[in-house]
Amino acid sequence: MPKWGMVIDLKRCIGCNACTVACKMENSTPAGVLFTKTLSEEIGKYPHATRVYIPVLCNHCEDPPCERVCPTKATYIREDGIVLVDETKCIGCGACATACPYKNRVVLHREPVEKGLYKQGILTPFEKQGYPRFVIGTAIKCTFCHERVDAGLEPACVNICPTEARIFGDLDDPDSKVRRLIQERKGVQPLAHHNTKPKVFYLE
Amino acid sequence: MKQNAPVQNSMKSGKWIPTTCKMCLHSCNALVRVSDDGVVLKVEGNPSSPSNRGHLCPKGASMLMRLYDPQRVKTPLKRTNPKKGPNEDPKWVPISWDEAFDIVARELKKTLDEDPRKLLPAINDFQKLFLWAWPAAFGGNANYFTVVGTLCGGGFHPMNGMIHRTFASANDYDYCNYWINDGGGDGFSSHLHVACQAGYMADARVDRGMHVVVVEPRLSTGGAKANEWVPIRPATDRHFALGLCHVLIRDNLIDEKFLKEDTNAPYLVGPDGYFVRNKDGHCYIWDPVEDKAKLWNDESIKDFALTGTYEVEGVTCKPAFQKFKDILEDCTPQKVSEFTTVPAETIERIAHEFADAAQIGATIEIDGKTYPLRPAAYNYYRGGEGHKYGSMNNHAFKIVNMLVGSLDAPGGHVGVCLDEYWEDFDHIYGEGAWWPASSGEDSGMLTCVPHQLHPEVPFAYPPNTTHLQDYFPLAVDPGHLNNLTLTEPEKFGYDFYPDTMLICHSNPLWNMPGDQQKWFKIMSKMRFIVAIDVVLNESTTWADIVLPAHDTLESWNMTMIEPPNTEGMCLRQPVIEPLYDSKSEEEIFNEISERIGILDQWNEVINFVYGFGHKPELLLKPGKKYGEKEIAERRGLLWNGKDLKWYMEHGHSVKKKPPWKMYQPWKGQRVHFYLEYIIRRRDELKQKMEEAQVPFRDEWYWDDYQPLPNAAIEPVHQEPPEYDMYAISFKEVQLNFTENLSIPWIDEIVWNDPVHMGILINPKTAAERGIEQWDLIQLTSPYGQIKGLANITEGVHPETLAVSNALTRWVDYHAVVRPGGGNFNRLLPADLRNVDANSGQMETTARVKLTKIMSKPKDAKEVFAKNTMFAYSEIRARGEEG
Repeated sequence: MPKWGMVIDLKRCIGCNACTVACKMENSTPAGVLFTKTLSEEIGKYPHATRVYIPVLCNHCEDPPCERVCPTKATYIREDGIVLVDETKCIGCGACATACPYKNRVVLHREPVEKGLYKQGILTPFEKQGYPRFVIGTAIKCTFCHERVDAGLEPACVNICPTEARIFGDLDDPDSKVRRLIQERKGVQPLAHHNTKPKVFYLE
Repeated sequence: MKQNAPVQNSMKSGKWIPTTCKMCLHSCNALVRVSDDGVVLKVEGNPSSPSNRGHLCPKGASMLMRLYDPQRVKTPLKRTNPKKGPNEDPKWVPISWDEAFDIVARELKKTLDEDPRKLLPAINDFQKLFLWAWPAAFGGNANYFTVVGTLCGGGFHPMNGMIHRTFASANDYDYCNYWINDGGGDGFSSHLHVACQAGYMADARVDRGMHVVVVEPRLSTGGAKANEWVPIRPATDRHFALGLCHVLIRDNLIDEKFLKEDTNAPYLVGPDGYFVRNKDGHCYIWDPVEDKAKLWNDESIKDFALTGTYEVEGVTCKPAFQKFKDILEDCTPQKVSEFTTVPAETIERIAHEFADAAQIGATIEIDGKTYPLRPAAYNYYRGGEGHKYGSMNNHAFKIVNMLVGSLDAPGGHVGVCLDEYWEDFDHIYGEGAWWPASSGEDSGMLTCVPHQLHPEVPFAYPPNTTHLQDYFPLAVDPGHLNNLTLTEPEKFGYDFYPDTMLICHSNPLWNMPGDQQKWFKIMSKMRFIVAIDVVLNESTTWADIVLPAHDTLESWNMTMIEPPNTEGMCLRQPVIEPLYDSKSEEEIFNEISERIGILDQWNEVINFVYGFGHKPELLLKPGKKYGEKEIAERRGLLWNGKDLKWYMEHGHSVKKKPPWKMYQPWKGQRVHFYLEYIIRRRDELKQKMEEAQVPFRDEWYWDDYQPLPNAAIEPVHQEPPEYDMYAISFKEVQLNFTENLSIPWIDEIVWNDPVHMGILINPKTAAERGIEQWDLIQLTSPYGQIKGLANITEGVHPETLAVSNALTRWVDYHAVVRPGGGNFNRLLPADLRNVDANSGQMETTARVKLTKIMSKPKDAKEVFAKNTMFAYSEIRARGEEG
């Protein structure tokens, strides 16, 4: 049984947000909902200034607060470590969104789904076939592209990245690229002090 | 609801179809998933292509949303509002294709019969480059009402054509160790095949440890990822390069062997700037060992002098290299530092690092052939070279590479062809589609090919083109000069005035510099304007008829434009039936051509542009209309003999570019270190203008024609002192010009990125001028003004205000596009002083004064107008211009 994790190579990432778009395209997320996105921040003072780009997504933590606080057990962890939400059990209380230290979960509101991406209440054929997967008023988030992964493919964000800054694999396999990179490049976990045991690692 | 059917789009039942992206010029190979119900679900990169290797940039990833834009043009449209203006509602009504073609053909035939020069074309379809040549079939019309290729490529393309005999250039990803990017986003945000280049750049930087230095006024993505960002005052990059050259030559860090054997640097130049030649026209060099002049190909040559002054045939002369050395006396690091604001120590250090990395003298064996190995390369693009002295700017950057011998060497700076037509096309020793092989007949020097977009437009007085291309023998079309000529036509002796316009996949009112009110006046004088596009824009607002073109996912094409390290042909094929009543551009132009009686001429033009004569069975025959599928098939057959069925299955024939095409393909001939060719063309033009008594010949900027780059200062630095700041425009990888801002996914990532959300200003500058974050500010140049919100950042030179393209749309009919505070290009001049008489390059940096219009209101939410951040409603209510 694999333990799925992701490595993000901050040296390769160019902050292009192709991942953000690919994820929206893969998951039919409405406007304003980003299962993944890339943050950018300036560091230093002119002329010694630079900028860092930091892609973020659900970290599929091993000890996720979202799962702990969920009153209905809608949020659950698969055997392979992917954290999912059963939309039939979710009551949209939002406790998980509050509990997540990374702010990577949201409760889906009606407005963006009805307004559509083109903002005029006209849904494109793409949206018409995509939105029905969501239950309005439930918590939604990145699923590590669970269906793609089950079919032996990489998540959409990994697949699209032009600089191959995202690497996906089995953290339990010592020969996997993710394990080797974490070891060789000293991968760090985001906000590790929250002790949620995130399974996304960053390489500087 | 429990779903057994997949919820992820790439997993839903359907099929994958290989095609290409069209969200920029460069046709990355893609796979598109279409559901069983014919809905486009996903776009991914095609992993079988060594170009983008299975990946896409955000523009490509967003492609399918363009297909489904509810505001796409769905039928031919006719204007019913006779009033025209920048924000005037055309009040479109849908009409049939029959009626549309009737009207368009009637109006264009009228123009064709009266005077074909009265048509102003703005044809800029990405990837169907052959369409740009349609006006040639329209009675030989050579007008250009757009600058899409010239804003960045004016100086760039002709210089590449003269130095490499290519259209573009890039650095060599495979072997480079020290990479300089000057004002260009290659490998990070833009230019050639970015989804391909970004991958190779990441590999080189991260896996091979390639060192990257980025020289630019603003901290771009490249600057942020580089090992070193060198901030520089805008429009001084040539001086930076000359400063490097000064150090390289002063400290003898040069590849003498390359300069002596592979360039014309040792050729002796007389006082008139021309080479000293014998009676048969052969050039001389000086052999310092035997202390005498010899012809360039004398077999007894022991060595070539690069420096010194000599007497040959009674003429005092110097090697071309010495002429350059003389220019560099004024380009000491100290002097250059004062002008560029780059510290002198930085110039010294980078020159030395560059030369060390170049490994002068090293060799490498590739595919059984030995080449010089020079892993240091200077790359550059619009920011560095897109200024008045475009030709000299580009030349200076080339010479940095030449000095260390990295021009066209493994690891160095290499030429990139526009189109390679057939697999064994040899762009040096072979005939191009319509230009000759390099003969070396002029003393072994490469035959220059300054024109690759279209053949040279011949001299004429009175002028035949509205943008004065008749007087730019070496230039890419300075279409923005229409702003000047169509406002004062009598000054230029015109015997006609245009009254018709054809706009195809173009937004000329957005891309052309110059006084915007003059542009609007020119538009309103048109008798008839037809536009062909997928979505409407600021320019189509002026049209009388709009014809809907197929979207990328509904059409065919076969192309590969300027691939930096690969070659081949990429097939675009429809993945679904057209959603609306659109047609392909091919069908539209065929129908119009047939109705106005120029179909045969159009087929001839296509044959010419695409080089179908190389395989005569592919030639388009008279009297027949060839659709997009047939033309695409011919391109594939021309490349490698494979038919459309093969391409539909494989998607492409892309492979890595073979070393023989990349590395010193010209070996045996000499590269132009010194471009005597430029002054020869200048004097030919001068003579013609004199003979024809052209009234503005004495106002012509003859000094722009230089055989070597010098330290002349661009006029932008000499504007009145009240314009005390510089302004530049930029884009990052999310944007293609700005036309994709209508795509919601692009909108979402752009408006979350600080660099696109306001006009970038340095904190010290802001503090000095009392400007706070999100204050509404105005930039005023001698030519126009724009507004925007101040966005304070450490990542910009203190004298510079940087304006993202995202802030420059003004169309307000599209639900997603956010109107900005004005088009940046209206800050730029459209006059002869600020255009390179040599290359047609216009100035792309502005000199502005900065004023604060109002502070950010305390409760800013109340004053956001529409869906933009840029027009506080109080300003609108006061009736001020937005």
